[in-house]
Amino acid sequence: MLSIKKVNIENFKVFNGKFSLILNENLNILVGNNEAGKSTILEAIHLALSGLLNGRYLRNELSQYLFNNEIEKEYIFSLKTDKPLPPPSILIEVFFNGKELPLFEGNGNSDKEKGCGVSFKVEFDNEYKSNYDELIKTDVKTIPIEYYKITWRSFARDGVTSQSIPIKSVIIDSTSTRFQNGSDVYISRIIRNDLEEKEKVDISQAYRKLKEAFRIDKSIQAINEKVNAKANISDKTVTISVDLSTKDAWETGLTTFLDEVPFHHIGKGEQCIVKTNLALGNEKSKKAGLILLEEPENHLSHTKLNEFVRSIKENCEGKQIIISTHNSFVANKLGLENLILLHNQKVTKLSDLKSSTQDFFRKLPGYQTLRLLLCKKAILVEGDSDELIVQKAYMEANDGKLPIEDGIDVISVKLTFKRFLEIAQKISKPVAVVTDNDSNYKKKVKKKYKEFWDDEFIKISASKEAEYATLEPQFVYANREQLEKLCEVIEIDSSKYNTVELISSYMKKNKTKWALKVFNSDEALEYPLYIKNVIHWCNA
Amino acid sequence: MPKNRLIIAAAGSGKTTFLVNEALKNTKERILITTYTEANEAEIRNKIIKKKKCIPSNITVQTWFSFLLQHGVRPYQGALNDVLWDNDIKGMLLSEGQSAKKNGKDGKQLKINGYPQYWGEEHFKKHYFTSDWRIYSDKISKFIFNCNKETRGEINLRISRIYPHIFIDEVQDLAGFDYEFIKSLFKTRSNILLVGDPRQVTYLTHPSRKHKQKYGNGRIKEFIQDNCKSLLSADSIDETTLKKSHRNNKQLCDFSSKLYPEYEKTEPCECEHCQNGDINHQGVFIVRTKDVRRYLRKYKPVQLRWNKRTKTNPSFPTYNFGESKGQTHDRVLIYPTKEMIEWLKNNKSKLEDGTRAKFYVALTRAKFSCAIVYDYTDSDNIFGVVKFKRSVVK
Repeated sequence: MLSIKKVNIENFKVFNGKFSLILNENLNILVGNNEAGKSTILEAIHLALSGLLNGRYLRNELSQYLFNNEIEKEYIFSLKTDKPLPPPSILIEVFFNGKELPLFEGNGNSDKEKGCGVSFKVEFDNEYKSNYDELIKTDVKTIPIEYYKITWRSFARDGVTSQSIPIKSVIIDSTSTRFQNGSDVYISRIIRNDLEEKEKVDISQAYRKLKEAFRIDKSIQAINEKVNAKANISDKTVTISVDLSTKDAWETGLTTFLDEVPFHHIGKGEQCIVKTNLALGNEKSKKAGLILLEEPENHLSHTKLNEFVRSIKENCEGKQIIISTHNSFVANKLGLENLILLHNQKVTKLSDLKSSTQDFFRKLPGYQTLRLLLCKKAILVEGDSDELIVQKAYMEANDGKLPIEDGIDVISVKLTFKRFLEIAQKISKPVAVVTDNDSNYKKKVKKKYKEFWDDEFIKISASKEAEYATLEPQFVYANREQLEKLCEVIEIDSSKYNTVELISSYMKKNKTKWALKVFNSDEALEYPLYIKNVIHWCNA
Repeated sequence: MPKNRLIIAAAGSGKTTFLVNEALKNTKERILITTYTEANEAEIRNKIIKKKKCIPSNITVQTWFSFLLQHGVRPYQGALNDVLWDNDIKGMLLSEGQSAKKNGKDGKQLKINGYPQYWGEEHFKKHYFTSDWRIYSDKISKFIFNCNKETRGEINLRISRIYPHIFIDEVQDLAGFDYEFIKSLFKTRSNILLVGDPRQVTYLTHPSRKHKQKYGNGRIKEFIQDNCKSLLSADSIDETTLKKSHRNNKQLCDFSSKLYPEYEKTEPCECEHCQNGDINHQGVFIVRTKDVRRYLRKYKPVQLRWNKRTKTNPSFPTYNFGESKGQTHDRVLIYPTKEMIEWLKNNKSKLEDGTRAKFYVALTRAKFSCAIVYDYTDSDNIFGVVKFKRSVVK
């Protein structure tokens, strides 16, 4: 099966400098924050294989907005210094698997190695060198895109076209509202890819006949005679007819119907399912079909989504699929082993993790993993009461806002901190650990997390006071000046529970209960220092 | 069928037709047909289109240089020199004579002790390329040869995987490092078919000192015999399959064969298809300058000349000798050079290799008649040649 092995992206949209991603032969699930570049990867691959961006040929629509913002800034800034940078270029390289395509083999790629694939470049056209030299003497504010060209080649440095590239990609993007014109570009593309040459000829012939029938229809002829009788429109004969001039006219003139409803009138979610299933059902095995699915969870109810994911799973054999998703359900159902985590232009695959960690995450419902990936910062806590207290402490410090509203996720991970930290380290995700000292700070905290202490993205927070081993005594100790108020909040008798020890032991027996009471209360309480430190870290 | 084949045959024997037919037999595997001149490339295309209405999708026809640039030079160019990672090779500069001349301050070529100076291989860019990155035509196959060495044969491996069959027409036009390249193609898994005629070396892909002494002037057969022995089988070199001329009649065959007495004489094909018995005015003629106009009107021959400096009658089509290679016409009129006239009068007189080849090409273009412009006197008497006189017209 023809498939994509790797993609290199340079200076395109969110990618500053060179980004490289190795893909599985079958299913790939891209997960990451909103700005991580998931969609950009899909767009880039599709662009390099089809020349299309947002359904239009990029050749006619070059703009400086394609470039990475910082790259553009650096370039513009450098022009004012005595070390001006050359005009930046965008590069997308798609490497193919297998040995069946010698025509695409060569070392014309930025890895400077033998490979098989295509390279798509938006670069300065040296023909305009002299114009450019004049231009940079003036105050340049944007990349001079009018002097740019597209260079689209195989790794053998031979020009390619979308027809000559054997891997056909379909990008299915249900979020888009860009394609509202009569016929749907995707659907005709998918259908066209599946048709034999002869069938294509037949369909356009049939379409032609239909139009000719229109032309020779008596009523149309009568109208044309009438039009011509008023001869002063033009010296030439004027007739009403249909345009038969383009050979692929059927693609724009014909519309697909579902239960007699035109395709573009059915729901977005249903459209997405139909398109995907069509692409999956595409039987031309010679032409590999690459399916790029952007956030399929949009516009789909949970039942539909379930159905949809099942259909992908059942039919994806022999097809390469790249899905971007925010949805933990999608990712989990399709198999975490296919997960590719994106974060700050770094890529982590589950297969890169220690095998025991891999196993651990395979067993997890998947949701937790994704929470870690998708948040801006994460606070890992041991159990439910820790979770509630940390959240409440955050709200106290931030005018009642929940941490999640700021993209900060508080995740209860039981005793599996280190598994999460391993992923966090791989993707440079800011993560704080709020943990008990279990009366042995040195062993339970210092030593246990020794490989993470120096990580700039990871903060380990625990109290050093050995006599307060867990959250409960810590919390009571923090409020030792106002024990009565504390009792009031957690609704116990302050005359009976009048020492730190008594209150702590009550709380230990009623873990979630007291924490919920604190969480729901309007009274301001004190929080242990090691928690306050983490809140401070959140806001830093 | 031998994997590597060289077919040598005379003009008009149907070399190109044979090659096209061989290609059309195979409808499954990819076949490359390449030749040096654009004219012959077009001729090959036309032949295929006449038979099949279009070029079958498994067949690629392209000129030798275009093939070398696309599949020899560019795929692995970076491996030969680091400057080629960031610079595109724009195309080719057809160089007359040795390229990469070293110029002095006066803009003229530098000479030391009378010897003209050139940029050597140590000046990589200047040796191979013009300032705007066009590769010199005489360096292309050398470039490929060296790049192939650098990549341990990746270039040839790739080519042989793209084209299980490589056919080269007019192989006698190749020279120097081209020979080395062919030898390396012999070593690949592709089936190689070379077709040519050492009598028709009217062009060379490049002036080359490499192999010039021993195998220059189209002696590819000798090169292959000496250098590719282990790559050949007993029937690899074939000088008998195409023996007869399907173009020229007996008189033209006899006369043109005199230019190359060391080769076996060409005989006209006698099959029904090649018969043209009842046509008037057949054979070799000489025409005086003052009769040219009349001759042209009467027989409408195609005019053949050395180069565009020779004046011809603009009302009738004209080709240069070299350009006419591969063409077939009913009748031709040759505007000969002085040396050609001398040879006409005395077959032992000296004729340069290139001139002899061009004369041979010119003499073998016609099916019926070949006339040579020559202001003969009554005492001139050339064997096998008829004087065109006004009385003959009447």
